[in-house]
Amino acid sequence: MKHLFSLKRLKNLWLLAIVLLCVKLVWFVIAFLWLPVSGVDYMVEKERKPLYYRVKLNPNKAPPPKKQTKKTVKRVVSGSIKDIILLGIYNASDMTVITVEHKKKTKVLSKGDEINGFTLDSAGSNFAIFTKATKSYKVKLFTKKRKNSKSTGTIKEVASPVKETKSSKPEGEIVDVGDHKIIDRTLLDHYGENVENVYKDIGIKDIKNGKDLKGFSISFIRRGSPFAKLGLKRGDVISSINGQKIDSYNAAFGIYKNIKDIENLSLVIKRGEEEMELEYEVN
Amino acid sequence: MQMVKNILLVLLVSWLAIIVFMPKQALYYKMEETLATQEVVLNETSIEEGLFSLTLHQVTVYVKGIPVATVEEVKFFTLLFFSRLSVDTLLLDDSLKKMLPTKLNHAEITHSVASALNVIVHAQGSFDALEGNIDLGTSSVRLDFNESKNIEVLKSQLKKDEKGWYYETSF
Repeated sequence: MKHLFSLKRLKNLWLLAIVLLCVKLVWFVIAFLWLPVSGVDYMVEKERKPLYYRVKLNPNKAPPPKKQTKKTVKRVVSGSIKDIILLGIYNASDMTVITVEHKKKTKVLSKGDEINGFTLDSAGSNFAIFTKATKSYKVKLFTKKRKNSKSTGTIKEVASPVKETKSSKPEGEIVDVGDHKIIDRTLLDHYGENVENVYKDIGIKDIKNGKDLKGFSISFIRRGSPFAKLGLKRGDVISSINGQKIDSYNAAFGIYKNIKDIENLSLVIKRGEEEMELEYEVN
Repeated sequence: MQMVKNILLVLLVSWLAIIVFMPKQALYYKMEETLATQEVVLNETSIEEGLFSLTLHQVTVYVKGIPVATVEEVKFFTLLFFSRLSVDTLLLDDSLKKMLPTKLNHAEITHSVASALNVIVHAQGSFDALEGNIDLGTSSVRLDFNESKNIEVLKSQLKKDEKGWYYETSF
């Protein structure tokens, strides 16, 4: 007992206790003065419902009554767009000629010609656009190899299936059909898979008001790129996509992640002082 | 001799007290605050404070509000003269699969006073394995993918020398 409570040992224990106390005190002061008591947490936004979502783009306007009567008559005569099989396309700057198969008969049509109640409007590299009343229909090139098919003149023979290459060049086109534009779905798929190509074709800069994100402005658009064909211009501010306000990176990224699944695309942009709504059909 | 003994004892106790009494959680919150200024936020489901370590469970990493990665466990261990940060099962968001390998099974970043200006990096994942170091003196990072096989997605960002593929950057 005498040994245990020797003065020297007690002194050492006191010294160690003081050291421990000092260290604790220093940490306490540091924590009290400079360290936060709670961390920074990101508040996960609950999936917001868009204000509206346009399911069908066309027809936007109700056709006049007279045309409606005509339409009814036409319906009896004409068939479905599915009856038309697109076999070949010749597309030049001054003319568009396509070869189609309808009711097992092959026909050559030029722009403005009618078949099965549908009028040929335009054609892309692998599709043709037909119109009927105010509606537009896209018919893709028949890809299955047909026996005994002959290629004549400059009309392309049935093309081989579209190659799913990992090229950096986006496939698919944007077709202007007057009141709106049609975006080829393969184009969306391409950009959905290759985020690096988005950055090559369009530059997006955030607009902040203090810490709050107001939207995204377009800092550049590559000339001739699909983004330019959408009608977007440098300096445009994108404020909403498909009715969803783009006020956070997550909102913008969420739309990008689901880009492959969208049916239609509607952009609200601000160009100068003017607010515009750009509408597209995805086909 | 007794004096030396006493000094060593005080130093040992001080060293232990500094680590044990270190407000690790509060220091982590401070680091979160610093990261938040760079628009990087870590959301964790739980924090476990040990005598020499701090463990975060189920961490989601947000960059500019976008959830880019989830990590099963992050453990920071320190003895002051030796520190180690280990990361277990890091999964990157699928949208980044074209740019980076999406799975990191285990990664370790270690620092020792024996080599004070050098931080050693070791990682294993879908790219097999990488070794590297962070030179604090020259502020440069070099990661060697010599043992790696599945690095096709990374090759655009890598350089090659006689040893093999490597990533180099400075900060």
